[in-house]
Amino acid sequence: MNLNKVTQVARREFIARVRSKAFIFTTLLVPGLFVVWGSISGLLQRTDIDELRLAVVDYETGIGANLTERLEAIEALPITIEESVEVAPAEQEAVRQRMSDAIREGDLDGYLVLRPDSEILARAQYFARETGNPVIIGRLERAVSAAVLENWFTGEELTRVRRVQGADLETITVSEEGEEAGGFWVAYISTFVLGMLIYMMTLMHGQQMALAIVEEKSSRLIELIIGAVTAVEFMAGKILGVLGAGLTQLAVWIGMGLVAVLYVLPALAMADGLMDLNLAEAFSLGTLSYFVVFFLLGYLMYVTLFAAIGATCNSTEELQHAMFPGMLPILIGFFSTFYVMTNPNAFASKVLSFIPLFTPFAMFARVNVAEPPLWEVWLGILLLLLGVMVSVYAAAKVFRVSILMHGKRPAISDIWRMVKTA
Amino acid sequence: MTAETAIRCEDLVKNFDTTRAVDNLSLEVSPGQIFGLLGPNGSGKTTTIRIVLGIFVPDDGSLLVLGHQDPLSVRDQLGYLPEERGLYPRMRIDEQLAFLGTIRGLSFREAKRRAGDWLENLGLAEKAKSQTLELSKGMQQKVQFAAAVIHEPDLVVLDEPFSGLDPVNTRLLKDLILEQKARGATVVLSTHRMDQVEQMCESICLIHQGQAVLTGKLDEIRASYGKSTVRLDYDGDASALAGLEGVREVRDSGRSASLLMDPTTDAQMVLRQLLDRVTVRGFSLEEPSVEDIFLDKVGYDPRHEVES
Repeated sequence: MNLNKVTQVARREFIARVRSKAFIFTTLLVPGLFVVWGSISGLLQRTDIDELRLAVVDYETGIGANLTERLEAIEALPITIEESVEVAPAEQEAVRQRMSDAIREGDLDGYLVLRPDSEILARAQYFARETGNPVIIGRLERAVSAAVLENWFTGEELTRVRRVQGADLETITVSEEGEEAGGFWVAYISTFVLGMLIYMMTLMHGQQMALAIVEEKSSRLIELIIGAVTAVEFMAGKILGVLGAGLTQLAVWIGMGLVAVLYVLPALAMADGLMDLNLAEAFSLGTLSYFVVFFLLGYLMYVTLFAAIGATCNSTEELQHAMFPGMLPILIGFFSTFYVMTNPNAFASKVLSFIPLFTPFAMFARVNVAEPPLWEVWLGILLLLLGVMVSVYAAAKVFRVSILMHGKRPAISDIWRMVKTA
Repeated sequence: MTAETAIRCEDLVKNFDTTRAVDNLSLEVSPGQIFGLLGPNGSGKTTTIRIVLGIFVPDDGSLLVLGHQDPLSVRDQLGYLPEERGLYPRMRIDEQLAFLGTIRGLSFREAKRRAGDWLENLGLAEKAKSQTLELSKGMQQKVQFAAAVIHEPDLVVLDEPFSGLDPVNTRLLKDLILEQKARGATVVLSTHRMDQVEQMCESICLIHQGQAVLTGKLDEIRASYGKSTVRLDYDGDASALAGLEGVREVRDSGRSASLLMDPTTDAQMVLRQLLDRVTVRGFSLEEPSVEDIFLDKVGYDPRHEVES
């Protein structure tokens, strides 16, 4: 493999992509959409709170009083503490039932239960009719963390402090039918936003890759190129170029995101308390590192597959039919994240997260909203890596055989033969 | 160049599914000359070219390109102008030219420099930043030619380089091809323009149905036909030219015609017959033109569309 030629192909591809209108458009538009979406939902969620009537039920953790004080001190939310009780184990369930009934009757908006926890002193649950407002949840969560810290942190157990800060507030929705877990976790935002990024970029860039190859094929440029570089050099260069463009786009977005988090949001937060949505927590270093791993591998795998799909087509019309099989797993993978996020440890979620085509979505969602055993995460990454290698190998062979073929598009059986023999 | 021959093909065979595109084809191209590759559409010319350039692998036969059995091992010494032109439609032509140079082994810096020089020479300097789409057909063709030779290859293969060019650009391209020869490169010219072949090529190979039906030095080929062709300028009814005794084929062009005589025919006898039938404005005895030879070997078949 002539690395200089690979570099030249990659360079051309990169420049062609970065200069394209589609690239500039999406690079600027997508963050814009997120901002619009974010502020609209933020506005919608904030406007309907005139009063938040809460109760605190302390199962003998000793921080109930502190939490009550902190909740009342939140200026951004009009919280009224209706009741703050410390109950002995025997009557806990009865008190909780009474509270839930109060919610159903409309006398109360929600209540916090503080349960003793051997590791971090107390874990909190939030029972309410409405648990979907990120601003409220974020605020309550921080009040709980602060209260726990103040009562328990003595300066000796520094390492545990971080865990308390990272603890999510468990939310339970109370309705006429009963009580069910759900509502809003901070982890949802990052899973959704980052999963969406993987989805959009693989889908968009994969399609562009296939389209570019079909164009090169139909304009017969390919004849000129394939006489000068090998099919593998050509494919490698193209994929590197596309990857480079993808990473550039990502870097721009992350840069914009950082500017937003560091400068724009604090300014907004002064005015309306949006900062309660703890972004630094949602996009923690751990989350971002997993994102980079799953993004890179998933992107590479899909872009390679799309390159192979493009090589088998003679015209853009043909490509439109052929593209669907490549898009399907991306769609399934992305939309499965909604299931996986709510059922991270269900059997189906586990299965999905070990199938390389879906791993970038399903495993990323699992590590983000739950804490699956580390070996499962690594197994998923390993299988995905294997998937990337298989797709690169297979695509290179299909590519080499079909890139100069014109006429009838190869059937699945023909493609299988190419992979086996070529 | 050190190799004795630029290209030597022996008994090349290439099949596509059920059709045999190249059928035991042998040809030899001496270095430093302009070599004409002739043949009707679908004769296997382009397939042969692709084999020589290493784009296709032959099913059988032996191949020696610039002294190497595998053309890909000397791919940076090969230049190619494909018949169906290909340039990136939305790429600046200076960058395009440089890119096509780098994938033939030039460094980026050198390719960029040469791309600038070429555009200067072609009178396209002010178009350097334009996209292919903004260029006229003739300009695109010139850029495409530059792309084929920017890396100064030892072997340049040009597939139908003159198609679609106006007379001015045809003249320019001819000069550029001669420059390549002067530089010492071997040029293989595949074309239907018989007049170009006549003017430029020292040797030719005529391919028909995948086989080399005629190959050798152009002068020798023509001499071997002898002065057996009558060039006739006439006024009158074309149908009067039918059934001339001693003439085996008439190629009528309206006011002039080529008459292919049987080897034993006396030209005077043909002239006497003609004087009775049409008004003769000119009558000369010549060696056959390449076109005559082409049609003689391939056989004129009106169903077969021949590009020009």
